[in-house]
Amino acid sequence: MAQPQQIVTTAHMRPVQPSACPTRAFLTRLVPALAALAILAGGSAAAEQPANPLAGEAALSLECRVPGAQLYTVAQLGAVKAALAENRPLKILAIGGSAAPGASASYPAKLEAALEHALPKVDVTIDHRGLPGEIASGAAERLRTMVAEAEPDLVVWQVGTHDAIARVDVDAFASALTEAVGWMRSHGIDVVLVDPIYTASMAADVDYNRIVEAVRTVATQQGVPLVRRYEALHYLSSRTDKGEGHMLGRQFRLNDLGLRCMAEHVALTIATSLMRTEAPQEPKAAPAQPPLTEPQRAPG
Amino acid sequence: MRDPNAIDFWRGFALITIFINHIPGNTFERYTFSQYGISDAAELFVFLAGWSIGIATRGRDGNPEPPGRSVVRLLARTVEVYRAQLTVMLLALALIAGAALLLDNPLILEWHNAGGFFADPIQSVCGMALLTYQLGYFNILPLYVLLIGIAPVFVLVGRVSLVAALALSVGVYLASLVFGWNLPSWPGEGDWFFDPFCWQLLLVLGFVLQGWNLRTDLLRRWSRRLFPAGVAIVLLGIVLAVAEIRPDPMLVPEPRLLFTFEKTYLTPARLVHFLGVLLAFAPLYAVLAPRIGRVVGYLTQMGRNSLAVFSMGSILSLVGQLVRFQTGGGLLIDMLVAGSGLVGLGFTAWFVEWRSRSRSSRPRT
Repeated sequence: MAQPQQIVTTAHMRPVQPSACPTRAFLTRLVPALAALAILAGGSAAAEQPANPLAGEAALSLECRVPGAQLYTVAQLGAVKAALAENRPLKILAIGGSAAPGASASYPAKLEAALEHALPKVDVTIDHRGLPGEIASGAAERLRTMVAEAEPDLVVWQVGTHDAIARVDVDAFASALTEAVGWMRSHGIDVVLVDPIYTASMAADVDYNRIVEAVRTVATQQGVPLVRRYEALHYLSSRTDKGEGHMLGRQFRLNDLGLRCMAEHVALTIATSLMRTEAPQEPKAAPAQPPLTEPQRAPG
Repeated sequence: MRDPNAIDFWRGFALITIFINHIPGNTFERYTFSQYGISDAAELFVFLAGWSIGIATRGRDGNPEPPGRSVVRLLARTVEVYRAQLTVMLLALALIAGAALLLDNPLILEWHNAGGFFADPIQSVCGMALLTYQLGYFNILPLYVLLIGIAPVFVLVGRVSLVAALALSVGVYLASLVFGWNLPSWPGEGDWFFDPFCWQLLLVLGFVLQGWNLRTDLLRRWSRRLFPAGVAIVLLGIVLAVAEIRPDPMLVPEPRLLFTFEKTYLTPARLVHFLGVLLAFAPLYAVLAPRIGRVVGYLTQMGRNSLAVFSMGSILSLVGQLVRFQTGGGLLIDMLVAGSGLVGLGFTAWFVEWRSRSRSSRPRT
């Protein structure tokens, strides 16, 4: 299988390597917040190594633990920072996946809890909406209305699965996604993208991988954080799993695991991105400012 | 069995268009008229349903049948559509689950919001019976159930005054746009994909226009006079669609729904565009009918059996999506999928008529 290339290569994006020293100061600031995340995320794991630079991943519960480099790329979250600076509730619109209770849907509640622990004293409200249909045909339009109705500070968007399933042309998908993300950013709304899940039967599928890559490319170009769910699940699938099986087979167990872990992965990505966001000059007033992101600034 | 007529013809046309549009990403999608305007086949389908209610609640002589009979007739139709929706939903979920098992691919379970059902069958099955749990692309029939369910109100008001029925409908429509009324989805957050408070207007409009059309010549004269305006609106729609020009919902003034192109709320722009399409294309049937007899026969047979054809179309388009997904698509696959779909829909219409014929001609055993 073609391992999807890593887009972000700057050292301090990867809290895995303690020796990459410019990051040390940053990491020490990061630890307390992430430790808070850890408490709700799983408990015992965090207690084992509280002050370790590995804390980024240690914040994750054992079954969800993935090295940061394989889990996320960070970027600035100006609107969220501004909301925090103004001490107002943080409004998040979570889009995609099944907007129904059950295994997947503890997701919004979990995400809310995870974020409120990571960002103490901040009130987080999450609106979760399903978005059936393809971004390349129609769904992007519906997204705009949803966003206009909710007027959130941040949109967390699980994107690409429907388009991949419908075998939508990758370029059409990428340009529609670029437009949608650009539109939200032009209105001063932060966006976190979550790419499609990994499952063994799709691993060798060229089109599917191209959609995953397209999400990545758009996230980089638009300068928005990305939860690399595909790679994270791929990593988790490669670990020896002694855990309970699934009556429908291994892929279905992995799928459940992916759904359970998503809130943690998203929360960690947001918390890490926030740490790297400079304080806002004027809150939410200069949305047109293109975000300066690591990938554009420093290739190497 | 009715003779071929314009209503059944356009309804058949709408059914084909909906079938093609419900296989997203397929090659032929870009050749449907939905890609070249603000409104699409869904508007046509609901409008014609209203028009048909006008026909069905009148006798052959054009006089209204007794009110009680109309109410029972609409109730019977509501039950029929409700039953179709339940059947189609069950089959769709089974197709999705079956494909996921067969291909060992849990990704398929997330298809069209089906993941919610498999994650939480207890609430979802209740939502399915209540019509508040809808799969993507399986959301027209719930609207249809509701619209026919409330149609007796408008039909009865229409007996007194068609203007009053239309005024009531427009009032509800405008209020929903201003206050954003919609029915909630459950389980899960969000609202219905087709807002019944807004879409009822098209049904009532079809019903009222049918009544006026029957009563006076005024409507026909005006529609002939307004033909150029219809063509202008259609052309404008093509330009807007191709150039992807549309209002930014964050920038339009409040109440926003009066200004956007949102399908869920049948916003005024969509309504005006649809009326333009109606004006521009209504005369076309009379021109086409003598020239393309076969096609007219094929489409009108579908139009006569729209519920069965629509239901089968939903299932076939899902099968088509699964086939495209597994094979990777491509022109050849798309031709195969669309071709066998069109044959399948034609067969469905023929089969329904054959069954009702053979049922009525044979004594019951």
